[in-house]
Amino acid sequence: MFIFPQICGDIHGQFHDLMELFRVGGNPPDTNYLFMGDFVDRGFYSLESFLLLLCLKVRYPDRMTLIRGNHESRQITTVYGFYDECLRKYGSANVWRYCCDVFDYLALGAIVLGASNTLEPTNEAAPREDVEIEVCNADGDAISHFGRRGKTGGNGQGSPNGRTDQTGPPGSGASGSSGGTAGNPVGAVLCVHGGLSPLIDTVDKIRLLDRKQEVPHEGAMCDLLWSDPDEIDGWGLSPRGAGFLFGADIVKMFNHRNDLSLIARAHQLVMEGFKEMFDASIVTVWSAPNYCYRCGNVAAVLELSEDPGGQGFFARSNGDVGRSDGGVSRGVLLDSDGSSKRGPARRYRVFQAAPQDSRGMPAKKPVADYFL
Amino acid sequence: MSDMSAPSIPNLLTLRGSRGGSAARGRIRGRGGTRSSGATPASTPSHDATIQGTDTDAAVSRMSAVDLGYLADAYARWFVQAPAMGAAVRRLPIINRGTYTRTIAIDRLISIFLSATEGQERQIISLGAGTDTRAFRLFSEESKAKLIYHEVDFPIVTARKYHLAHTWRDEELPGGSQYWCHGLDLRSLPKPDIAPLPGLRTDIPTLVLSECCLCYLEVAEASEVIKYFTDRITRLSLVAYEPVHPNDAFGKQMVSNLAARRIRMPTLEEYPDTSKQEARLRDAGFDSVHSLTIERIWEDWVSPEEKERLDNLEGLDEVEEWSLLADHYSISCGWRGIGLDAWRAHQN
Repeated sequence: MFIFPQICGDIHGQFHDLMELFRVGGNPPDTNYLFMGDFVDRGFYSLESFLLLLCLKVRYPDRMTLIRGNHESRQITTVYGFYDECLRKYGSANVWRYCCDVFDYLALGAIVLGASNTLEPTNEAAPREDVEIEVCNADGDAISHFGRRGKTGGNGQGSPNGRTDQTGPPGSGASGSSGGTAGNPVGAVLCVHGGLSPLIDTVDKIRLLDRKQEVPHEGAMCDLLWSDPDEIDGWGLSPRGAGFLFGADIVKMFNHRNDLSLIARAHQLVMEGFKEMFDASIVTVWSAPNYCYRCGNVAAVLELSEDPGGQGFFARSNGDVGRSDGGVSRGVLLDSDGSSKRGPARRYRVFQAAPQDSRGMPAKKPVADYFL
Repeated sequence: MSDMSAPSIPNLLTLRGSRGGSAARGRIRGRGGTRSSGATPASTPSHDATIQGTDTDAAVSRMSAVDLGYLADAYARWFVQAPAMGAAVRRLPIINRGTYTRTIAIDRLISIFLSATEGQERQIISLGAGTDTRAFRLFSEESKAKLIYHEVDFPIVTARKYHLAHTWRDEELPGGSQYWCHGLDLRSLPKPDIAPLPGLRTDIPTLVLSECCLCYLEVAEASEVIKYFTDRITRLSLVAYEPVHPNDAFGKQMVSNLAARRIRMPTLEEYPDTSKQEARLRDAGFDSVHSLTIERIWEDWVSPEEKERLDNLEGLDEVEEWSLLADHYSISCGWRGIGLDAWRAHQN
């Protein structure tokens, strides 16, 4: 059985929380994973986190997908901690240098095809046809549902043990305003770390990029890793000094042109772990709980269900050329066969930071910086 | 790690007579003497020592911001130990930006205060000044005439600073200026049996500055300290830099992380947002009050050109985290009897 990936956002060296993520989402290789970059920097275990993911990728290449984040870069890692961590742990920069060489080979994006518009049940008895969005706590118990025409289930439904207090509220963007997908009702989901680029109008143009290099300061490759969606029209300057801001019109046009139903991206801290924007045409997934041991946020992973018609497969843009290209150009660039004309159903598993005492590694007590 | 481990701390009592107290005008003055205070929950020795340690933290942050070009401060290096080898401590970009913003914001408020009192004698009283370099920076500008600058901190902190200040400058300060370094536990200041601060003037425009100081005192103690000044000085203003918003997710984590470092901020619970901070100052007797978060100050007071300059020093990727962090600090001002309405003005 080929299982759909859990789509994950930033990890940032929070190794213990990555273990918690695997506990919540299911252990690899039994569960497939797609990580949307930013494995390193900020946390104290960047090296362990990245190397574990890399080992899993090497051992289970079809079950792990790693795409590049803006922190997978020589320049950024010298500022935000990964370089210092390698130097501290090995006394030389060689390990950092080798890791950066690997970063250059990471994919810039990935496409998930054939997602179903209904969710497979988790702890619940029966699937619910009308559910578009489900938010689960760390134990897989649903804590809220949102139907195709708005909210159909209340908090606490389907929660056998009644433990609904373990997670924060559902993502504000998702729950409050999405109200069902209004976008192009085809099942392809584009995963990318940051977002769109004014230089990229089709998914195929991402394939044409020569990605095996340090992340440049500008240009399409930079934008894919640095841009953010924002409540603006068209394109705007990014406060990060790299990439762009892009508005709902840009996302909807891009999704329409490329037959995408959803863009999944990471890159921005969202306190609720996920945030859907622009009529659920784009979602931010954030997977580093209590980011930097300071922010107090919860984290989430996004789970899609495979279309029961069996048409679904998972094409990696960095995969075998024949399989990947063939699959994607059929699935994305041509009209689909019409069997899946609605946006994918989405389940968000929300989780908190791993408890301090569960940390098996000798953990230096994290000290977060404040102004004192 | 602590700066305070100087090999020899001068005997504080020797500072008291000849050089402190009644020394000639325009010289650097010190005042030693350990004053004991009653034991209160916040005044256990370990808590005091922890709070004194926060000053080292601030000094290192300041050094980082100076090294990277955010701030110009020739005196920052005095208060951090030279790195054993290799580069000095480099803080993360959001911390550098925060250090920058709090510094230039207070600099700006002080500059407005000094302009408003130009030509007169005026006084700044910095509470819990620690290793703050502001006095030195101000006195290095000859235009800061007739400024009487007091710093108050624990004797163990002021002793070394006083020593450094003497090394720095034994000649005259800018015309008619004075620098006082008072070593005493701030909590003992309002006690009736304690003599008033030597050199304290009650007849001239005064600015009391608390840069993350009063927040470590018990709420009643902090109020007593403010009252000490409002009772004595008519033309008075106060600038307080303190954390806010302890009750959202970030704030709860902040309180818990600080507790893990054994740092407690009693006023944070009492004045959890800018409107409560304004009410606090109004209740303390200030006619005009204004309180802003550091995030607002960054947005409103820092010009686009300056933002561009800073962005070119270091890329700041953590935009969301910056907003969160900066939203949890505030600068609150209160004033009466001095024309400081420019403190309200935005600058861009």
